[in-house]
Amino acid sequence: MKKLLAVTACPTGIAHTYMAAESLQKAAGEKNVPIKVETRGAIGIENELSAAEIAEAHAIIIAADTDVDEARFAGKPIVRVAVAQGIKIPGQLIDQALALQASTASAAPQGGSSIGSSERSENSFYKNLMNGVSHMLPLVVAGGLLIALSFFKLNPEEGTFFANLLQIGGAAMGLMVPILAAFIAFSIGGKPALAAGLVGGMLSKDLGAGFLGGILAGFLAGYIVRYLIKYIKLPKSMEGLKPLLIVPLLSVFIIGMLMIYVIGTPIKDLMDALTVWLQNIGSGNKILLGAILGGMMAIDMGGPFNKTAYTFAVGLLASGVYGPMAAVMAAGMTPPLGIWLATVLAPKKFTLEEREAGKAASILGLSFITEGAIPFGAADPLRIIPAFMIGSGLTGALSMVFDATLRAPHGGIFVLAVPNAIGQPMMYLLAIVVGTVVTALLVNLFKRNKPAIGVGTK
Amino acid sequence: MNIHELLTEETIFLPLETGTKETIIAQMTEGLKLSGSVTDAEQYVRDVLIREATGSTGIGFGVAIPHGKSSGVAKPGLALARLSEPTDWDSLDGTPVSIVFLIAVPQENVGNEHLKILVALSRKLIHDEFRESLLNASTKQELIDILKNM
Repeated sequence: MKKLLAVTACPTGIAHTYMAAESLQKAAGEKNVPIKVETRGAIGIENELSAAEIAEAHAIIIAADTDVDEARFAGKPIVRVAVAQGIKIPGQLIDQALALQASTASAAPQGGSSIGSSERSENSFYKNLMNGVSHMLPLVVAGGLLIALSFFKLNPEEGTFFANLLQIGGAAMGLMVPILAAFIAFSIGGKPALAAGLVGGMLSKDLGAGFLGGILAGFLAGYIVRYLIKYIKLPKSMEGLKPLLIVPLLSVFIIGMLMIYVIGTPIKDLMDALTVWLQNIGSGNKILLGAILGGMMAIDMGGPFNKTAYTFAVGLLASGVYGPMAAVMAAGMTPPLGIWLATVLAPKKFTLEEREAGKAASILGLSFITEGAIPFGAADPLRIIPAFMIGSGLTGALSMVFDATLRAPHGGIFVLAVPNAIGQPMMYLLAIVVGTVVTALLVNLFKRNKPAIGVGTK
Repeated sequence: MNIHELLTEETIFLPLETGTKETIIAQMTEGLKLSGSVTDAEQYVRDVLIREATGSTGIGFGVAIPHGKSSGVAKPGLALARLSEPTDWDSLDGTPVSIVFLIAVPQENVGNEHLKILVALSRKLIHDEFRESLLNASTKQELIDILKNM
């Protein structure tokens, strides 16, 4: 069943706005077409359309004589008329909106207008992604900063204030991937998809699949729910069970099984294989090892590559080998530091929300909380993550070249305060600075001028 | 909130001797002045006609809803007239108008309650049965009752 959305608005906001809304609803009712109408009148915005509803809609009718915030409909077919037309010819508008969808959909396979439709799907891809990222952002900022604060005292005793700070920050960071997945799913499938998205994200975190696994889980959950809602047919008397019991149960089961068997098992194999590979490179080629460890830290920022590199370096501490640990920490600091510098160097390329997040990222970077860069990486992975990897790889290699060493497995810049924890501290800082600058320049080089869908811009 | 606060005996014209858009609006404004809604009739009529100039408020199906947000209005008000004969209003659908609702809203936003009633009325007017009942009402009280139960 095709769903339509509409927005009505007029300057006075007393009469036409509401009459157009009523006319559209009445005409849609007669045609048996589900429609939701947002009214922007003198008593404010009522029935506001949600991101999920917009994502789900086939087309949008705008009957307005004033601005209705059209940016949110990017990529959707729109019928745009004066508000009076909404009152006068509601039936025609609805037919037009329904047909619009059909004609663009059927035109795509013929090749002629395939650019238009692929643009549309790319736009909705970014819109769904950004919905997850923007909801995740506060958790990253709050969690990351609290963890950074806890580093005023490294390795605090349990139950002390700083240990509690670390625990609170950890809780916030732990929710990051589940919320990312949940709100991607929500953007695609609406409220029914929230449960599957949350569970998929939680499993991604537990299985070590990181935020990239979370993105995958979110999209899978959203589309699974949409599919279930569309194709499960029940007799009328049992229809009420669908949203309450059947869709949540099936979607959570399916996403859970997919995450564990299809994503979890290969990730474990991948991590095992990577560990063996790193051991084989060993210390034979210091520069190569540093570059690889650095790149691994940045590619998934908390996913299997990052974890393997980190675990590998921590493991070597026990054998008295301190170089790789230094490389890993430095490389884990440059993505958020680089993002901060990028927002400072080219503020016009970023939304206000991103610039604010960039400030927080600087502190997270200094604290070796690589996750501070995830919102940026997740928002545009194919462009941003390569920039992170090159900067981090360079920093990792430089750190090894400079013979920097590190005896603590975390702490970021604050480790400098611990006597003898870092060998070659000045050169170590240089490695971090170089990587930060390179990351920032590459991010700004690769990044598109303005975000495709500005969920965060309004 | 009661419809009485918007629509009073003075603001119902049953019937109103028809004329031009301007004379109809002017006569109905007199009613709104009596009920205390409009304080500066000249200003208010001017604002209504300015609104009218941007696009006819003849919404079709024989109904027109001229309205003005004006500094000449002290409190929200509503006037209702059934015209002695269908009158041209440059309507959207070209049909002449038999029922006119004149809406007065103060320049500064006041309580939403009043606005909500006007909004509900606007929505209601789209429905045939509602318009029928307005056309068929024979007394002012009957009209008020219809609007009260809206």
